[in-house]
Amino acid sequence: MSIPDKATSLALLREMMVIRDFEETADKLSLRGKVSGGMHNSSGQEAVAVGVLSALDKFDVIASTHRSHHHTLAKGFTPREIMAELFTRATGISGGRGASMHLGDVERGHFGGNGIVGAGVGIAMGAALGIQQKGDKKVSVGFVGDGGMNTGRTWEAINMAVIWKLPLIVIVDNNQYAVETFVGRVTGGGDLAKRAEGFGMKAFNIDGMDVLEVRKYTSEARARALAGEGPTFINALTYRYYGHNVGEKGQYRTLEEIEQWRTTKDPIDRFIKVVLDAGYASQAEVDELRASVRAEIEDAVAFADSSPEPDVSTIYDDVDSGMLGVQL
Amino acid sequence: MEEIFVPALGMAMDNVVLLEWLKQPGDQVNAGDIIAVIETDKTTLELTSETSGVLGKHKYAVEDEVPAGDTLCVVLAPGEVEA
Ligand SMILES: Cc1ncc(C[n+]2csc(CCOP(=O)(O)OP(=O)(O)O)c2C)c(N)n1
Ligand SMILES: [Mg+2]
Repeated sequence: MSIPDKATSLALLREMMVIRDFEETADKLSLRGKVSGGMHNSSGQEAVAVGVLSALDKFDVIASTHRSHHHTLAKGFTPREIMAELFTRATGISGGRGASMHLGDVERGHFGGNGIVGAGVGIAMGAALGIQQKGDKKVSVGFVGDGGMNTGRTWEAINMAVIWKLPLIVIVDNNQYAVETFVGRVTGGGDLAKRAEGFGMKAFNIDGMDVLEVRKYTSEARARALAGEGPTFINALTYRYYGHNVGEKGQYRTLEEIEQWRTTKDPIDRFIKVVLDAGYASQAEVDELRASVRAEIEDAVAFADSSPEPDVSTIYDDVDSGMLGVQL
Repeated sequence: MEEIFVPALGMAMDNVVLLEWLKQPGDQVNAGDIIAVIETDKTTLELTSETSGVLGKHKYAVEDEVPAGDTLCVVLAPGEVEA
């Protein structure tokens, strides 16, 4: 696969490092009670988020899932504003009201994470319909987990996108488990891309641990969507390194299996090799990059920790659009 | 130095009680050893050490209530001293 230029490649690498460091740091803080309601760690899934978002335009829309930190970081939101939201502070993306599962900002093309498995594709489909109606030159991306692949609403939305040729890209962030349920045990037919093909759309099963592969397939899907050719379905096979939610240590998979993915398929390690081989950076420069990421995440924690809680007087803000005139 | 602490695992972690110490200050600890047992509203939980070393001071006594996130004790690596 052709490698992007040096600046782009290093930016892809850095973004994946930011996600990993952010998640491992936030996970520890969550165990210490700093993150209201806990969180879902996306470590291991960096290449899906960075591959997809790096192939999109800033104005393209995404809708995420309950596991959304990686998508949100890759969309260009800062570690500071996301960490502050996890800490439910006024400086967070959602003003400290949403915490980990409700990161988003419609103005910036992020239609939010949410707690309903399978909802992201429906939200993104609605956004795609809006884009088509307005004649905008952009696309909408709906993320969904492997678990969300077996909910009815996901396929209702996909069907509509097909019949209306909507500029929708469905990304299955397939980490192979829905809490403790292995995808292979619950996928009728066994092949998600084939299932999607049955709805009449272009569909691919791809390596979600390879940032360049994810980027390439997304980029092609985007071009088709902009050309009026309708939706694409991309099932990106990846792996979640930590428990389903913070602190969860289930008995449903072996430590060997986790170790095997981490040591042989890790998206960051693999892409570091690509960058080194291309002569884009030396090992020392990669280490420097990691150190600069470490500093950025520490700064985000300090920012979140020193930010104020939302003021009680703002409790009714954002409850309605203002038309109802609700007042304290 | 590894801190053994009460993990904040859910929304209802208000009443965590220290049930038992299985290691005493100065004891040799091996990775994987159970250090203490705590009780929450829902369950009892064994807290294990990930590293090997020597146990530091007990910061709480049996039957104390411990806030989620607080440290119960540390495991000192060779050469380390407790602050
Ligand atoms: C409609 C619905 N059903 C069940 C749940 C409980 N639940 C939360 S996450 C989850 C597993 C989702 O698995 P997957 O879609 O693979 O996403 P992942 O957690 O792996 O990112 C379940 C069953 C929910 N939040 N919403
Ligand atoms: Mg999953």
